[in-house]
Amino acid sequence: MKSKRANRIIGRTAVYVLLIFLALLMLVPFVWMISASLKFNKDVFVIPFEWIPKAPRWQNYIDIWTKIPLAKFTLNTAKLTLIVTSLQLLTSSFAAYAFAKLEFKGRDILFLAYVATIAVPWQVYMVPQFMFMRSLGLADTHLAIIILQAFSAFGVFLMRQFYEGIPDSLCEAARIDGMTEYGIYSKIMLPLSKPALSTLIIFTFVNTWNDFLGPLIYLTTESKKTLQIGLKMFISQYSAEYGLIMAASVLSLIPVFVVFISLQKYFVAGITTGAVKG
Amino acid sequence: MAAEISAMEKNMKRRARKRNLVAYSFIAPNFIGFAVFTLGPIVLALLLSFAEWDGSNAMKFVGLQNFINIFGDDRFLASLKNTVVYSLFTVPVTLAMALGLAILLNQKIKGKEFFRTVAFFPYVASLVAVAAVWNMLFTPAKGGIVNQLLMNVFHASPLKWAASSSTVMLTIIMFSVWKNMGYYMVIYLAGLQGISEELYEAAGLDGANAWQKFINITLPQLKPTTFFVTIMLTINCFKVYDIVYMLAGGSNGVVNKSAMVLVYYIYEEAFRNWKLGQASASALVLFAIVLVVTLIQFRGEKNYAND
Amino acid sequence: MKKRILSSLLAMTMVVASITACGSAAEPAPAAEPAKTDAPAQEAPAEPAAEPAKEEEAPAEAPADEPVNLKWALWDVSSTVYYQPLIDAYTAAHPNVSVEMVDLGSTDYSTVLGTQLSGSGSDFDVVTIKDVPGYVSLVNKGVLEPLNDRIAADGVDLSLYNGVTDQVTIDGNLYELPFRSDIWVLFYNKDIFDAAGVAYPTNDMTWDEYDKLARSVTDTTAGSEIYGSHYHTWRSTIQLDGILDGKNTIVDGNYEFTKPYYEMVLAQQKDGVCMDYATLKTQGLHYSAAFAQGNVATMNMGSWFIATLIQKIKDGEYTDCTNWGIVKYPHADGVEAGSTLSTITALAVPTSAPNKDVAWDFVKFVSGAEGAEVMASTGNIPAMTNDKIVDLIAGMDGFPTDDASKEALVTSHTYLEMPANDKSSEIETVLNEQHDLIMNEEVSVDDGIAAMNEGVQAILAQ
Repeated sequence: MKSKRANRIIGRTAVYVLLIFLALLMLVPFVWMISASLKFNKDVFVIPFEWIPKAPRWQNYIDIWTKIPLAKFTLNTAKLTLIVTSLQLLTSSFAAYAFAKLEFKGRDILFLAYVATIAVPWQVYMVPQFMFMRSLGLADTHLAIIILQAFSAFGVFLMRQFYEGIPDSLCEAARIDGMTEYGIYSKIMLPLSKPALSTLIIFTFVNTWNDFLGPLIYLTTESKKTLQIGLKMFISQYSAEYGLIMAASVLSLIPVFVVFISLQKYFVAGITTGAVKG
Repeated sequence: MAAEISAMEKNMKRRARKRNLVAYSFIAPNFIGFAVFTLGPIVLALLLSFAEWDGSNAMKFVGLQNFINIFGDDRFLASLKNTVVYSLFTVPVTLAMALGLAILLNQKIKGKEFFRTVAFFPYVASLVAVAAVWNMLFTPAKGGIVNQLLMNVFHASPLKWAASSSTVMLTIIMFSVWKNMGYYMVIYLAGLQGISEELYEAAGLDGANAWQKFINITLPQLKPTTFFVTIMLTINCFKVYDIVYMLAGGSNGVVNKSAMVLVYYIYEEAFRNWKLGQASASALVLFAIVLVVTLIQFRGEKNYAND
Repeated sequence: MKKRILSSLLAMTMVVASITACGSAAEPAPAAEPAKTDAPAQEAPAEPAAEPAKEEEAPAEAPADEPVNLKWALWDVSSTVYYQPLIDAYTAAHPNVSVEMVDLGSTDYSTVLGTQLSGSGSDFDVVTIKDVPGYVSLVNKGVLEPLNDRIAADGVDLSLYNGVTDQVTIDGNLYELPFRSDIWVLFYNKDIFDAAGVAYPTNDMTWDEYDKLARSVTDTTAGSEIYGSHYHTWRSTIQLDGILDGKNTIVDGNYEFTKPYYEMVLAQQKDGVCMDYATLKTQGLHYSAAFAQGNVATMNMGSWFIATLIQKIKDGEYTDCTNWGIVKYPHADGVEAGSTLSTITALAVPTSAPNKDVAWDFVKFVSGAEGAEVMASTGNIPAMTNDKIVDLIAGMDGFPTDDASKEALVTSHTYLEMPANDKSSEIETVLNEQHDLIMNEEVSVDDGIAAMNEGVQAILAQ
């Protein structure tokens, strides 16, 4: 009995040691970012790297707001991210329900079409897509970015896979009780898929927040540009201000973490068979 | 009697039609947007692989010429080979690491929220920062941390990592696993929440140990998640671009044949040489490979669903 | 549930909003923004009136007085000092014209521009051309207006561009007019030479003399290294040294001539005279940061670095290279000093431009004598250069005061880093790859050159 407890303690300790080691490994880039954000550009890539700058340049955190209209860019990005994430969440989880739980004509083919398109690199259809959007008068509009991002196949695929994990018997029971498919979707599936919805929010949020090439191609008016384009503005033809880039990057990570951490509480077991039976 | 049957048939048909309509109504909001703005351009782009087009001058149908061109191009063949090698190693290793991390962080551990956030970090952090840190560890200079380790602990000769043709892919693979495992961990974590606690309890009563529970409950229950992760990982591996550009391109952006990947080749053909047809042909090759992998997986999943 | 998620998203927006609010609240605090552009802008409008070029305007269907808005595609609006002065100078003479700048960013400029100009729906009137491969691909796409007729009609004197326009003429037609031309020079840190008691580099050095000089100030003591030379990772820094004798070009398909230069630099690399290519490449150290460390004695680089140096020293960021100078590029034996590489930035008119005539007038102005003076007054070398221009640049506050540095700006021959060739971008790919392999010492110089010859000849044969 005693040895079992001793084993458990050793096991626990090993787990924590491993976790802390991994955590350090993962955190180093973050420390690097903060450190670089407090330096002159000329010192950022110099080796040996000075982890704690002798004369930290807090000025970088002021300069980023004055050298480019970063506040405006952030607002634009926030707006786009919010709209895209909500649309993505709604339409994907809706469509995914049909793919996972309903029988209908052409289901597998349609689904395969969804998944397969993810495999086509954007670089290939960027030009035809841009020309099409421009012909609709959507060049240089936020609507273009929203349309491009909101109906992605990724979300449908992700949600479908999680619905697959929910037993069919649940839906059958509800159907027998006379519930409509819409009812099953909103009253049974959605509440059970909190972890999946959270995952989708996180991923969509991160993707839209960090999207660069799309806004770059579509948005040409200064006042419509986004955060990531702004970050690249610190890289000019003949010099790159990595101190400023890192300062802005550190700040731009805050919303990502807020979202990630605030959704953590949904990462708890959604289904127990008890709930299923009830 | 006959009338009754036909009435039943009619009834069934009507129900089937209604079922289809309901299903389509679920799909429509997403599918219409997707079909018009993404699927359409994609189909057009893939058709381009049989044409010569620079984005402006008239399109010219050239049959299979683009495919003949790319398969006669060293850089394409090198990029195809590198991409396959990269995916073959990156997919299973990332998958295993992500699953391992997810299981580890799904236990009752103090501060697991913190550890989960940290594991996700390399994925969201600025690529410049992650690559800079990586290059500090794996610098080609003898003074680098990993090279010091190699020399003093393993008595091996130092490696040039990203700067050498023989180790550049290895470097990129390790980097990619490190950067992306947190992302797939999040998916697995979400998947793990869907497994009923009661299954484990029942198995515990039957005297199953942790390993048996993992093999007999966790893995089978995670199948839909694994299907998703495998396919997304494969696709993302085949579409790898920015980390290659960052690590192998370095300060002058020159990526040579030892590290060329498909999307890099596509990018070069499309936007440096403006051979959109050739770029599309390369993409079609990529598409075909991923489609085969997906179909195999899909069949596997179907079988599982029928079990 | 969905409501909860939405509300948490909303909460997040508020966090974002509050961050941005803080930011803008802090905005007024830092006084005096660097890089004010008013100075040149003020003097610029006075000049155009005095220039004779205006008379030529008459035959070009004289732009009417109705208001015209030109859309100009360019990059780095916030960090480029000459765009606004150029526009101000032009609009002062043409009050009916306004110019709208559209910043497409510098990193992916050619990609974005190429996409924007695809099809015929673009509404740009004037586009800036960043590099020669980008220019060639746009010409091949047929989206740039040929300028020959307009040049002939308006009597634009191409000889003022020092032969550069010949190097970008494609099939007898010119599609762009250069307005900025950067030449390559040798930057050096005077303090290092003073400390070593070695005489400064001169405007007339052969490559051998340069090599000896670099070695004489090198110190390989670990921890306090002094590098006699520095080569950024671009192939231009080494490969192109070989074309300056005027006997070879970079698009001929024979690269034997690069051998002595590769051998010189590889030997320097081996002896610790310059930093190791592999490390520089992976570490991502920018050449400006390398020079700013104060342990690099000489560095071959384009004249664009002059403006950066002056600015950063003024801002107090560069403290270890404040005492710098420039000299002409070293030259091969038996060749006159003053041959160097150049890179041009040019303007073109897309075939889809809504206001072609006014656009051409603007291009002609910016690339012409008036534009040249505006460029020079902002410390940048215009494509059309003369003594007055050199005086203007050398007279800039922060430019080295020694005569040699001023003299260094005068060139005898300039060769484009990449002349216009149908296959520019494909040739570049081959040359870049072999440069990388040679410098990483994965292939010998001879094998690398053989591979370049083979690769480029195959491309030329297509």
